[in-house]
Amino acid sequence: MATLKAIRRRISSVKSTQQITRAMKLVAASRLRRAQEALLNARPYHEALKRVSDSLLLSAPEVTAPAENAKPAILMVVAASDRGLCGGYNSNLLRMAEETARSARARGIEVKFFAVGRKALDHLRRTGQPIEAERINNAPRLATVGLARDIAARILSDWRTGAIVEAGVVYNSFHSALSQRPTYEKLLPVEEPETAGQPAARTEYLIEPSAAELVPVVLRSYLEAAVLHALLEAEASEHGARMTAMDAATNNAVEMISRLTLEMNRARQATITKELMDIVGGAEALRG
Amino acid sequence: MATTFPFRLITPTGIVYEGPVEQAVAIGALGEFGILAEHADYITAIAPGMLTLYTGGAIADEYLLSGGLAEVKDGSMTILALDAEPSTAVDTAAAASEIRAAEEKIAGMSSYDPAYAEADQALRLARARENVAQLRRAAH
Repeated sequence: MATLKAIRRRISSVKSTQQITRAMKLVAASRLRRAQEALLNARPYHEALKRVSDSLLLSAPEVTAPAENAKPAILMVVAASDRGLCGGYNSNLLRMAEETARSARARGIEVKFFAVGRKALDHLRRTGQPIEAERINNAPRLATVGLARDIAARILSDWRTGAIVEAGVVYNSFHSALSQRPTYEKLLPVEEPETAGQPAARTEYLIEPSAAELVPVVLRSYLEAAVLHALLEAEASEHGARMTAMDAATNNAVEMISRLTLEMNRARQATITKELMDIVGGAEALRG
Repeated sequence: MATTFPFRLITPTGIVYEGPVEQAVAIGALGEFGILAEHADYITAIAPGMLTLYTGGAIADEYLLSGGLAEVKDGSMTILALDAEPSTAVDTAAAASEIRAAEEKIAGMSSYDPAYAEADQALRLARARENVAQLRRAAH
C-alpha cells in the first residue's frame, strides 16, 4: 500500500492537471464559438461563388482540364492541427489521408502531400511520405484568407505545369462539438454538381473580357474558397475535439481524485490503527 | 429619384454591404465600369481598386478591393472579394513597403510565369493602397 505522503502528492498532481484541462476546455469552448461563427459568416460567400463557378467552370472544360501529358499524381492537402491534446482528431484524419493515398497508389497514381499543421508534418515525415510543401505554426488562427490563398496558388501552379492530375484536401468536417468526420474532398478536376439527375440550371452571362480570360480567375477564386472552407471546418473541428477531450480529461481527474482521497483516508486510518495497536501492545507488555 | 437595385458585397468573413444602391462603380479587367439598375446578366473579374456605391445621388460607401468577381443576375449585383477594406481604414503608411516588396518580387519574373499575375495583382493593390486618398471621390 502506498504511503500517505505519496498519495497526497498524487492527489495534488492530479488536481493541478485538472486545473489545466479545465482551463483548456474553457479556452477551446470559446474558440469553438468563434470558429463556428466564422464558418457561418463564410456561408453567403461560398454559396454565391458556387453559383458562379458552377455555371462558368463547367462551360469551359478546356481551361479546367489537366495540362496535357500531366503526370498521374495527386497533391493532397492535409489540414491537421499544430498542437495535440484533442483526442482522436489528428489520428483519425491521418488514417483517412493514408487510406486515400493507398487506394490511389493501388491505381498507379503517385501521391504527394501538402502538410498543414505540425501534427501532419511530423506524422508524414515519420512515415516517409513525399512532402511537397508545408505550413506549420498556424496559431492563433488556422483558417485565414492568406493561408487559403497560398495553398490554392500552390495547387494551381502544379495543375498548370502538369505536375498533377488531381488535387484534394483531407480535413475533419464539423458536425458538432462531439462529432467530426475525416473527409477527402476532391478540388480538381472540377466535377459536375449532383443535382438528382437533372442538369444544373445555368445562366447565360455577358462575360467580360472573355470566357477564356475570366475562367482562370473564377477557377482561382473557386479553389481559394474551397480551401478556405476546408480550413474553417478543420478549425471548428479542432476546437470541438479539444473541448470534448478536455471535458473527458477533467471528468476523469475528478473521478481519480475521489478514488485517491478514499485511498488516502484508508491509509491514514490504517496508520492510526497500527499506532494504537503498538501503544496497547506496549502497555500490555509493561503490565505483564 | 433614380431607380435602385439590390447590391451585396460579400467576403469570406461575412456580408460587408447589403442594400439597394443606384450605381456601383468598380475596376474591372477592362477598366472602370458602372452598373445601374436593370443591367443584363453580367460577369467580370475585379481588378485591385476602389468600389464606389451611390445612393440618393451621393456616395454611400467606398471600399478598396484586392480583386474578385462581380456578378449581375436577375437585376441584382453581387461582388465576391477576398478582402474589402473601407476606404477610410486603409493603412497608407504600410503601402510604400508593400510596393517595394511587390516590385522586387516581380522584377525577376517572366510574364509567362504562372505566379506573375498574382505578383502583378499584389503590386497593383499596394499602389492603390498608397493612392487611396486620390482614388476616393467622397469628400470626407
